[in-house]
Amino acid sequence: MMISNKEPFDVIVCGAGHAGVEAALAAARMGARTLLLSGNIDTIGQMSCNPAIGGQAKGHIVREIDALGGEMAVNADTTGIQFRLLNASKGVAVQAPRVQSDKKAYQFRLKHTIEHQKNLTLFQATVTSLLFKGDRVEGCKTNLGLEFFAHCLVVTTGTFLRGLMHVGQNQNRGGRMGDFSADSLSSSFLGAGIELERFKTGTPPRVLGRTVDFSELEEQPGDEKPTLFGFYDTRDETDLFHVEHFGETKLGWNPGENQISCWITYTTEKTHDVIRENLHLSAMYSGAIEGTGPRYCPSIEDKIVRFCDKDRHRLFLEPEGRNTNEYYINGLSTSLPFNVQEEILETIPGLENAQLMRPAYAVEYDFAPPTQLYPSLESKLVENLFFAGQINGTSGYEEAGGQGLLAGINAVKKGRGEEALILQRHESYIGVLIDDLVTKGTSEPYRMFTSRAEHRLLLNHGSAEMRLSHYANNARTISSNRWKLICYKTSSIKKWEKTLEEVRTKGGTIAEAIRRNEESIEYPPEFLKESHEIQTEVIYKLRYKGYLSREIKLVQRMASVDRIKLPKNFDYSKVRGLRNESAAKLSSVQPVTLGQAKRISGVNPSDISILMVLLESGKLQKLGK
Amino acid sequence: MDSQDTFAALSTPHGESALGVIRCSGPLCPDLVKGIFGRISPTPRRTYVADFTSKSGQFLDNVVYTFFEQDLSYTGDPMLEISCHGNPYILQHILEDLVTRGCRYALPGEFTQTAFLNGKMDLSQAEAVIDLIKARTNLSFKAASQQLQGSLSRRINKLVDDLLKIVAEIEAYIDFPEEDLPSEGETAPKQKISKLINEIDQLSETARTGIFLREGVKAIIIGVPNVGKSSLLNRLLGQSRAIVSDKPGTTRDYIEAAFFVDPYRITIVDTAGIHQTDDEIEKAGIDKTLEQIGLSDLILLTIDGSQSPTLLPENVSALLNSETTLVIHNKSDLTQNPELSNFLPEFLKAEVSALTGDGLDFLKQSIARLLGNPIISDQGDVVAVSARHHSALQKASTELETASQLLTQDEPAELVASHLRDSMTNLESIVGRIDNERVLDKLFATFCIGK
Ligand SMILES: Cc1cc2nc3c(=O)[nH]c(=O)nc-3n(C[C@H](O)[C@H](O)[C@H](O)COP(=O)(O)OP(=O)(O)OC[C@H]3O[C@@H](n4cnc5c(N)ncnc54)[C@H](O)[C@@H]3O)c2cc1C
Ligand SMILES: Nc1nc2c(ncn2[C@@H]2O[C@H](COP(=O)(O)OP(=O)(O)OP(=O)(O)O)[C@@H](O)[C@H]2O)c(=O)[nH]1
Ligand SMILES: [Mg+2]
Repeated sequence: MMISNKEPFDVIVCGAGHAGVEAALAAARMGARTLLLSGNIDTIGQMSCNPAIGGQAKGHIVREIDALGGEMAVNADTTGIQFRLLNASKGVAVQAPRVQSDKKAYQFRLKHTIEHQKNLTLFQATVTSLLFKGDRVEGCKTNLGLEFFAHCLVVTTGTFLRGLMHVGQNQNRGGRMGDFSADSLSSSFLGAGIELERFKTGTPPRVLGRTVDFSELEEQPGDEKPTLFGFYDTRDETDLFHVEHFGETKLGWNPGENQISCWITYTTEKTHDVIRENLHLSAMYSGAIEGTGPRYCPSIEDKIVRFCDKDRHRLFLEPEGRNTNEYYINGLSTSLPFNVQEEILETIPGLENAQLMRPAYAVEYDFAPPTQLYPSLESKLVENLFFAGQINGTSGYEEAGGQGLLAGINAVKKGRGEEALILQRHESYIGVLIDDLVTKGTSEPYRMFTSRAEHRLLLNHGSAEMRLSHYANNARTISSNRWKLICYKTSSIKKWEKTLEEVRTKGGTIAEAIRRNEESIEYPPEFLKESHEIQTEVIYKLRYKGYLSREIKLVQRMASVDRIKLPKNFDYSKVRGLRNESAAKLSSVQPVTLGQAKRISGVNPSDISILMVLLESGKLQKLGK
Repeated sequence: MDSQDTFAALSTPHGESALGVIRCSGPLCPDLVKGIFGRISPTPRRTYVADFTSKSGQFLDNVVYTFFEQDLSYTGDPMLEISCHGNPYILQHILEDLVTRGCRYALPGEFTQTAFLNGKMDLSQAEAVIDLIKARTNLSFKAASQQLQGSLSRRINKLVDDLLKIVAEIEAYIDFPEEDLPSEGETAPKQKISKLINEIDQLSETARTGIFLREGVKAIIIGVPNVGKSSLLNRLLGQSRAIVSDKPGTTRDYIEAAFFVDPYRITIVDTAGIHQTDDEIEKAGIDKTLEQIGLSDLILLTIDGSQSPTLLPENVSALLNSETTLVIHNKSDLTQNPELSNFLPEFLKAEVSALTGDGLDFLKQSIARLLGNPIISDQGDVVAVSARHHSALQKASTELETASQLLTQDEPAELVASHLRDSMTNLESIVGRIDNERVLDKLFATFCIGK
């Protein structure tokens, strides 16, 4: 079979990073003929930064990806080498799983999954330009001059567009160290009228474990009982293989066995002196970098300048895998020159003699401001062109994966003439992520925080399937068997919620005892026979019942404005009475609903009142004509 | 409402006054200038003196008129302002003439509403204008006009800022469990919350004052016969309005009049003396007094300081409380009855002589104290909130209260945060949406976070 013939695909995905992999798998699983192109298919799903998935809010996204039929959760679990539940001491809504994965195993397993996916073709190629037909995209062209055609195209090129890496004053082209930079693709976007801006991000050095004095460090072991991302009570056993157990149809090993520890050390006053002396050599401080970096990932020089009263900063040594001795130094991101990096290591307990394997660096890259997208992630300027991942101004594997999954689903839906899947803010973190991006844009690489979700309490990680899997079932990204199990699980949870409100124990019903947070509650034996997932979810729902129903009421009140549709492609400067700033913002964002308009910063309540009055009287619709 | 209409209304109070201003707003205004005054392109915002002749050719008045062009007028639409002599008859004829020329009468508040819809002012400014129109005393005018300039928004924005800091502090520990943050201070956020509650409550309490400033204060003088109620009324007014006599039962009808106790305009009612009676007519009179007491913001319970106290009927005293009632010991020029020092001890008291005027200043101060004062900031801003703001502030404060309780009970931080957020939502209803980014701004400014 030749892939270079003119027979168009349903979907082409450009870039096999975390976004691209989810997009391609989702599209193929929905039955669409899908082509996944990537510049180097040895780096599929490569973790450019730390070898860890999940953590606060990000872990929630991974569980949502699993509920929607994506791959990240299972891939992280099966290749995990250390598992920890964060915020274990806090409430369930803000607890989050985190895992250190074996970086290479993670990539191999993804590649393997892609190779075995029906309807999916993987091909190594660097995309150099897009092919347009009018204001639609119809395919792309590669560095070998090959042309590929498709109904829809998803761009997931990450940090690679005009990527520029900095180590001190030294600069090299590339999307990440050792990789190429995609230089010509940017002009294809610009030519189509899509605006691009620059962001930057950084990564710390990697050292050789054999040269680290671990006796000086504090050990951070994994949890004895790992919390996994995947919902294994409903997944098919065939999904659960580890790449090292090729061909086996069930979980070949038990995630959580033979975990590897992380290690903790701290910077010292000496470290800070070295950094202060060399500050002028940092690419960030010398002005060599023009892109905006994320505030939540400051370089070590940033931390020392901005928080000068802190006498030490904590560092984690994270293992990069089982078959390598390389360690990632979480907390030491920098764009200082190589020799200064070596000097810094000498001042840190345990790392005095550590041998650097890869230097820290900062990378600058083009991204396409996401207010140029519809909530389906389709470009407003070029039809059938979808964007997902870091190219949308986000940062993080999980954020990329979540977008990729939705872009993949929506590209297929677009081709089939179906309505796009748009997740709401109150039903998922992915919904919050995409709504924030397309409504507000972002002024720094966007990362998810639980505090971004105003209905956080409704979004506890254990409820992801109940919130989202019906969408996956409709889109056929999960098997019908799994859907059956989810339905069964959901009804058990609902049943127990009711039953425990009725069953009495001393001093009232069991539900009341849960709300009083009593230490030892006598549950009915049949309840204790249910799975851990079901028990936890039921207890959560009952314990926070008052809060959850309050949130639901709020959501319902908001839902009315989210149902009011605004006209498409509307010129808001025609609306007399809107302040100029608001009219400009509204015109550029083109909100789909009044609810979305309300969330645009700079659009104030009186602007919304004006739109509401005009909508009610039918005048806004008339102005649109 | 249709923006194609041109509407007109009298914009000075009804009734006789020296000057009457009629305003028109809408697309017809240039034609009106041309049709009435014969001027084809008036210079905007310049005043012209001209005769106003009706469409039927009748001379109505010599007036001053001003034309405002679209966008630069109050409503944002073209406007015409006509100042005439304040004779109600003339004003009415001019308005009627404008209607024959194609205008219609404006709906209540329509000028402001149009201005709002044309983006000339925001919601809280529009509310302030309505207050401004109603404002009677000087300070009330100041409060309304300063709200217009945003002194309320400024104040609430400061509260929002303080709240954001607290939220950021709580969120940091939820969102960054892996960070090396200073150990979670149990008491610090609580102290900050209670400080914030205080400030919100203070602001929200100005609502009562705000209403008094806008609507004026309704007061009533009550007491048993012959204690000097009518004399007191006359003394407060500074003129003889009520008949005074040494015979009990002199006052039969209500007498209403107005006076000022800075910054309030007080409308006061003098009543018939209350006493136990079987007379049906007198009973009906007492019932009416009871009803009036219920409607009043301020009750001046007058007793004769030289006599032993006469108890009021149960149904009257039940209506009195220390927040609205001032006990006035009248006739301080006579020897005072020592028993009276224990009379209604929980109420604010003032001794006065209606006869000589002694103690009048103290009485007025006591009235002002009872009515409360608006907040006057260091910059001299007068802040008094409206009923809508009052209820939003109270809800904000209640949510903070709950958050603080949960902190004490060691409940999960995300629940505390949920109440803090609701508190914020209530403040948003006054000043507009608070972008979530601001929480993160505070958070990253306060804590060293990141890998
Ligand atoms: C130096 C560095 C530091 C980072 N630091 C952090 C951090 O601290 N925290 C954090 O959360 N995230 C960090 N990240 C970001 C994280 O790696 C990304 O958010 C995530 O990988 C984005 O996923 P993606 O799928 O959008 O793109 P990527 O993972 O970048 O994948 C892009 C893929 O597209 C392919 N590709 C690119 N251009 C073309 C083309 N023209 N044709 C064909 N294929 C192409 C590439 O080969 C690659 O496989 C960092 C990234 C880098 C490079
Ligand atoms: N010495 C003295 N006499 C006063 C004072 N105030 C009022 N009086 C006298 O008390 C008598 C009653 O005064 P009014 O003001 O008519 O009393 P009232 O409470 O209105 O009486 P009714 O309307 O009949 O209930 C008159 O003779 C007044 O002159 C005062 O302060 N000192
Ligand atoms: Mg009298």
